[in-house]
Amino acid sequence: MDFKLTEEQELIRANMREFCQKYVDPIAVEIDENSRYPAEIIAKLAEMDWMGMPYPQEYGGAGLDYLTYTMVIEELSRSCAATGFTLSCHIGLASGPIYNFGTEEQKQKYLTPLCKGEHIGAFALTEPGAGTDVGAGSTTAVLDGNEYILNGTKTFTSNGPVADTFVVFAVTDKTQRANKAMSAFIVSKDAPGFKVGEHFYKMGIRASQTSEIILKDCRIPKENLLGKEGQGFKIAMQTLDNGRIGVAAQAVGIAQAALDESIKYSKERIQFGKPISKNQALQWMMADMATDISAAQFLTYNAAYLKDQGAPYTKEAAMAKVFAAEMASRHASKAVQIHGGYGYIKGFKVERLMRDAKITEIYEGTSEAQRMVIAGNILR
Amino acid sequence: MAGVWVFAENYDYCLELLQIGRSLADKTGVQLTAFACGDKGIGQQYIYYGADQVFILPPLAEDQPLGTYVPAIVEAARQEDPDIILCAATLRGKEIAARVAAGLNTGLCSECIALAINSDNKLEMKRVIYGGAAMQTLTCKTRPQMATIPPHTFTPVTELDDTRSGIIKEIGPISSTPVKVLAKKPRAKESGDITRSRVLVCVGRGVEKEGDLKLAGDLAETLGGDLACTRPIAEELHWMPQETYIGLSGQKVKPELYIGLGISGQIQHTTGIRDARVICSINKDEDAPIFKISDYGIVGDLYEVVPFLSQELARLKKK
Amino acid sequence: MLNIIACFKWVIDHEDIKINPETHELVLDRAGYRISDYDRFAIEEAVALTEQYGGSTTAVTVGLPAAKKSLKDALARGPEKAIFINDPAFHNLEPSQTAAILAQSISNQEYDLIICGEGSGDLYAQQVGPRLAEHLNIPCASFVRKITIEGRELIAERRVDEGIEVISMPLPALVTVLPEINSPRVPGLKDTLSAAKKPVVEITASDLGQTFASCLETVEIKATTMERNCEKFGAEKDELKRFIDVLCRAGVVD
Repeated sequence: MDFKLTEEQELIRANMREFCQKYVDPIAVEIDENSRYPAEIIAKLAEMDWMGMPYPQEYGGAGLDYLTYTMVIEELSRSCAATGFTLSCHIGLASGPIYNFGTEEQKQKYLTPLCKGEHIGAFALTEPGAGTDVGAGSTTAVLDGNEYILNGTKTFTSNGPVADTFVVFAVTDKTQRANKAMSAFIVSKDAPGFKVGEHFYKMGIRASQTSEIILKDCRIPKENLLGKEGQGFKIAMQTLDNGRIGVAAQAVGIAQAALDESIKYSKERIQFGKPISKNQALQWMMADMATDISAAQFLTYNAAYLKDQGAPYTKEAAMAKVFAAEMASRHASKAVQIHGGYGYIKGFKVERLMRDAKITEIYEGTSEAQRMVIAGNILR
Repeated sequence: MAGVWVFAENYDYCLELLQIGRSLADKTGVQLTAFACGDKGIGQQYIYYGADQVFILPPLAEDQPLGTYVPAIVEAARQEDPDIILCAATLRGKEIAARVAAGLNTGLCSECIALAINSDNKLEMKRVIYGGAAMQTLTCKTRPQMATIPPHTFTPVTELDDTRSGIIKEIGPISSTPVKVLAKKPRAKESGDITRSRVLVCVGRGVEKEGDLKLAGDLAETLGGDLACTRPIAEELHWMPQETYIGLSGQKVKPELYIGLGISGQIQHTTGIRDARVICSINKDEDAPIFKISDYGIVGDLYEVVPFLSQELARLKKK
Repeated sequence: MLNIIACFKWVIDHEDIKINPETHELVLDRAGYRISDYDRFAIEEAVALTEQYGGSTTAVTVGLPAAKKSLKDALARGPEKAIFINDPAFHNLEPSQTAAILAQSISNQEYDLIICGEGSGDLYAQQVGPRLAEHLNIPCASFVRKITIEGRELIAERRVDEGIEVISMPLPALVTVLPEINSPRVPGLKDTLSAAKKPVVEITASDLGQTFASCLETVEIKATTMERNCEKFGAEKDELKRFIDVLCRAGVVD
């Protein structure tokens, strides 16, 4: 077993750090405050080839392994979790299913501009009445000649307001059981009957754009069916397996930032004539943080490593996600505690980290859903 | 003649080197030699100020840079084998010293801030490294032992003895170099030379906009001092001239009083104020590192504190 | 077409230096290394000049074999190839040694221009550039903030204490550049990935056929300390009056 990063991985991580220092850190506070989409960062990410990093060069990607991709998301999230998520949603949730299930034509037409960052991708699965219970979705797709007609409403669609290409899930055969009823479609934002709803203002990852998607007799070409009819559930689950590694990486990045800030602050803050870092109570908090971050990092890298090896990784991805998310939430809260009153003030990074951490326990499968997956794997 | 040699591109800096050079020469029982650039009269002055010998370098043509002197200095040193060569660490001086050291295959301590003769009769030199985090003490195994000395590290000789006599030697002629000076753009004298200021008010990133510099300017004026700044204020924001920033790569200052406004206290800056007699700082962040290296710190909003200080000081002055 | 050599140094990241509070000794064992910040401007300037005038850039470094890690990083920033002069003996090199080793290694290369940073991020002795020019017997200009090339002449604006000096010199020549000269690009992902494929020439001490003795001897290295009063005042009026009073008594305000 080899726990050492390759020279290339170290360098790529350092490049992303340099990128963050130059382009992300200076505006991270402002985009959070204004819930603003950082178009300028995304344009730079595209210019510097980060938008399709784990996909082959023939589609405009960079051909990185998933493990390195995971490290990049972690590093970006350390500066701005919202930007980290925008990218992992684009790469993992939107481009992922097109790469894994798309035809060559679909890849050429849709994956290539996504990888080059000319288009932004989104993933529309969740519905007002179908969250964790994916199979309860009521959006429908009906074949009409050479077109599918889609009807329904999707909610909490990350990147919705800014995306060009959507992977949309809809029921094609109500008579089937939930896991065979759904199909996946590639929908362009220009499709007739396609409408982006209002942007949601969120508690955290505020610079990530989220909205409803309204499909009203939305017509798309028949060849935009992704995979086969009835494969939707499988595509969704596999995509979420990938996505969970990205969320776990995001959580590790947030927790690392919480530790970075805590160390810095506790060494400078003087109370009772000495830096508060000299207090054992705080030392232990930070020791626990560092330990949990390492543990979460190993779980996350392990899941990514298994995926790279072509081995099953559903259970490991769920473990990484639930552990990393809960640990990030817990320790971001501790970091606020270490900062005392200042941590509760807008503009201090730990305040943002605490809000950003919470979402990692919720999206791409709640912590409870992850435990269902893990239990299902160990008890069957 | 062996001994201690000093070279500075201007008269004032040369007097500073003569001060320390004289003391090193006396300690080791050798002679002190100064270079004078192109002027015999100045050479005579250097003797009055303590030199035993002066080398007069020939005047330079208009288009010849100061570096033209390098081969002549190297040649003189080869012939006479000095023990020590000190050079003023002006921008040109640093380049010239490095080239002379290369020509003589010897060591050079750059921007040396303290000099002493150790028990082996060797020159012990100190300089800061790692961005100001550490101090390195060096000796030199080869001859001559060379160092560049930042301007104002030592006080200039003030005692003039016009009865002193010494040897004046003319060097030259020297050959021209392929480097030609096409133009000289002296910088606009927007501010005084902050390295000579008795009082400095220094602004950092805590000052929010360019217009607010007036606040700091008023305080400086009331105190009879000058305005200085940190590197970002000069280099990134261009609010103040280049020559007014203090720090590792900028000016090193030694005022009687330094007051930092909205300065966090990064080591790259504070290494330039090490020699200030009294350091004061005003910062609203009570944990700003600058307070750790301040004699007196005010924890407060500079926008409230500074106008009050200016007003109060002006009132005291009238009395 | 310009053949440019950009020199860089792989230095300890001084942000990572820890200090033993008892002995004031530096603790370096966990410190990371990086391309000296000042040298990033040298590499960027070389690459920008070859983009403008045509030609190619060679990045050159001298150091321990472990500095190999720096090569991909340097190459990702734009140079076409690298020369890696390394030996286990190249430990704590001083400027005189670095310059002599560079001179010996570069002397049989074809080049029009050598660009160095104004100083290194660790020692900041600012000697290697001018020393190297002296060894190679080429003209040099240090502290340069602007470069233009006109035929076989280089025009440089360099900082001097009283302002700016505009100079010209024939190529081949050497310049050391100031940070204000440019804003180094952040390498893109593909730049980093393709860096591994760029050619690297390795030169070891035995290839150079001579040894490079040091001139200086380090007596000690200690953390710097600034002992000050560290007295704090509040922002209330009576506190500020007390502050002024203290300054008057210290004799710095009259």
